[in-house]
Amino acid sequence: MNLSRPSFLSGLTASLPIVMGYLPIAFSFGVAATGAGFSATEAFALSLIIYAGASQFLALALLTSGAPVLVSAFTLIAMNLRHVLYGPALMRAAGKDGSTRTAGAWAFGLTDEVFGQALGAMARGQKFSEGYMSGLGAGAYASWLAGTALGAVAGGGALEGWPAVSAGLSFMLPALFLALLLSILSRRQVPVIAVAGAVTVAGSLALSAASGILLGMLAGALTGLIRR
Amino acid sequence: MNAELLAVALMAGAANWAFRVLPTLARTDRLAPGGWLERFLSATGPAAIATLFVAAIVPTLSPDVTRLLPVITGTLAVLVVWAASRSVAGATIAGAVLHGATVWAMGGAMGGALGGAMGATP
Repeated sequence: MNLSRPSFLSGLTASLPIVMGYLPIAFSFGVAATGAGFSATEAFALSLIIYAGASQFLALALLTSGAPVLVSAFTLIAMNLRHVLYGPALMRAAGKDGSTRTAGAWAFGLTDEVFGQALGAMARGQKFSEGYMSGLGAGAYASWLAGTALGAVAGGGALEGWPAVSAGLSFMLPALFLALLLSILSRRQVPVIAVAGAVTVAGSLALSAASGILLGMLAGALTGLIRR
Repeated sequence: MNAELLAVALMAGAANWAFRVLPTLARTDRLAPGGWLERFLSATGPAAIATLFVAAIVPTLSPDVTRLLPVITGTLAVLVVWAASRSVAGATIAGAVLHGATVWAMGGAMGGALGGAMGATP
């Protein structure tokens, strides 16, 4: 049990596994964005402003398919609604050590992985500190931006001579979604997941891929309201 | 800078900041457990991720074994590494590496692009 409050530097050190994971995913995002016809600056802006991996890939798909701005934004927003639970869950775990003086900055860095890492550290007996959260978040954010910049500069044609690497990167997104799904899987959410998946397939076949995604999310979330 | 892209990014980014920061500041950990809002919010994340997984994986399913095999090995790698390490980043990388390695072993028969999965490329 560590009784002292962990520092910014220990947060930064703890971000290393996340950095190793983020760099290649962000790189593939930069490559995909420029491959889809966006400039390197636009790719970097998406990472800087949105900072949510899966929804950034989705933003590319929506924007290039000509989906209306509001539909695109609503889809991305719906997808990230899950983040509203991270801060409260973290504060609950922090107990009396919980403080939010600089949360306006560090809480923006509460991605799935940062949240998971912080919660795991506290589960192992570490105290909560805003400095640690800032270090953890800063490392992850910096690697996301650096990876995007590298991928965007390398450009959409960077992998043309490397079909296996290109194929591997193309699987990054389904793999990320599957891993995220596994990380939140619980018996309580099985009906939600099943309904969301079925409605997505039906909506995509009957209407369009973008409609299928939006309807799937809504149907799944509404399934969660049913008391069992 | 593409105006539509900037508008979507700003709306999504502002919502992301609000979703991550405001509940932390408001200490909504005191939200009634089991209430309708808590149930709706808890279901939204899994619903969103399940939806996106299905949307990403369905276009990769094909009767052509040279296209299907890398999807199978990649998926298995994600499942195995997740079971062993409980690491989202680790499982994702392992899935991508094994998917790419399978394509390489088959002689680069499948050219992939992110567009194959999500229609991201024109």
